[in-house]
Amino acid sequence: MKHKNLYTMFYAAILGLVCALIPTAVGTYTRPLREANAKVDEIKNTLRVLGIPFSASTPSKELVTFFQDRVVQQKSGDLTLYYAKPEAGQAADPVAIRFEGRGVWGPIRGYLALGSDMRTIKAITFYYHEETPGLGGEISTAAFMGKFPGKKIVGSDGAPGFHIKRLGASEQNEIDGISGATLTGGKVETILTLLADRIVKENIHVGD
Amino acid sequence: MSETSPQALPGAAGEGRKAFREGFLTNNPIFAQVLGICSALAVTSKIETSLVMGVGYIFVLALSAWVVSLLRETIPHRIRIIFQVLVVCVFVIVLDQILKAFYWQASRQLGPYVGLIITNTLTLGRTEGFSIRHKPMTALLDGIGNGLGYATVLALLGAIRELLGSGKLFGAVVLPGSVYTPNQLMILAPGAFFALGLLIALLNFVMLKTAKRK
Repeated sequence: MKHKNLYTMFYAAILGLVCALIPTAVGTYTRPLREANAKVDEIKNTLRVLGIPFSASTPSKELVTFFQDRVVQQKSGDLTLYYAKPEAGQAADPVAIRFEGRGVWGPIRGYLALGSDMRTIKAITFYYHEETPGLGGEISTAAFMGKFPGKKIVGSDGAPGFHIKRLGASEQNEIDGISGATLTGGKVETILTLLADRIVKENIHVGD
Repeated sequence: MSETSPQALPGAAGEGRKAFREGFLTNNPIFAQVLGICSALAVTSKIETSLVMGVGYIFVLALSAWVVSLLRETIPHRIRIIFQVLVVCVFVIVLDQILKAFYWQASRQLGPYVGLIITNTLTLGRTEGFSIRHKPMTALLDGIGNGLGYATVLALLGAIRELLGSGKLFGAVVLPGSVYTPNQLMILAPGAFFALGLLIALLNFVMLKTAKRK
């Protein structure tokens, strides 16, 4: 296999072009499908964290309408609050806030649902992450997310923050982490602490 | 790219069936070549993700091996490795997009490991070690065989770990808590090492026994 330099360069150029075109074509073709999947996933997670029952087999179009009918979205700075339309005279409860932050391999996105006091955690969900499957990836399991309800985003001294402990969570704003996922735990802790800090300091709440 | 089994070396090339059988069984990528271990340890905490990864891997390896072999006589020698990595990349990206479009849930669970197929030693091991010196059909069968061998071990490992680690198979409870207390170690990283090590030992033991009997 003896080839001249020019041949090599020409070959590399053609190869690069072809190898760039194929993924672009497939990417363009699958983009609407991928985006629809991501959107539906987001909606399902919002409904779940707000505790609004829905059928998992609902077609995506109906789910979008259902979501728009039932859920109110309210901007507060760059944060978005989501809550089920409350009945007359009642406070919105729970109120979900979308969060996003840096994980170990990629972004972590999720919703934190708080009670009407905006301090007590009702539920949490991590709907997008690229953490290691089986280790950090376990943050999106029911077992881990189930540790959050009833906890608070402030310590007993009122200071905002949330902590993921290696062992022996005892405070109202602490939970036990996942074995083998210390790094992911630290990232989640940072994301939630930043969020808690903003909620408390900016007094983020439903209404004006 | 160490080849532990002497009969895996080319020479008596050209027989697709031999290449397939070797890749699948006697020179299995995981328990004979001990390649592709990173992903085999990482994605096998559940059988479902193991299967999706396995099928995806067969797709990538078979097509990469075929394309590399098709173009083997035109590839300038000096850029052959870049060429192979590029071909693998194309198929991995295509696979990733397809998973995201049609198998959203599985794609979420696999996380970064689909992309990491590109750096899987097994992929380059097959294209550089076999495809580039063999006819397209042989290379394709070698790719399918190796992919299938990899997928089978992954599925086995996934089944063992999910069963012992959470008492479930395909997410359905098989061993209820009253019968068996799930050993969480099996889901965690150390459990993966233990399970894979014991599985490699067992399979090699069985292979040796049957080889002696012949």
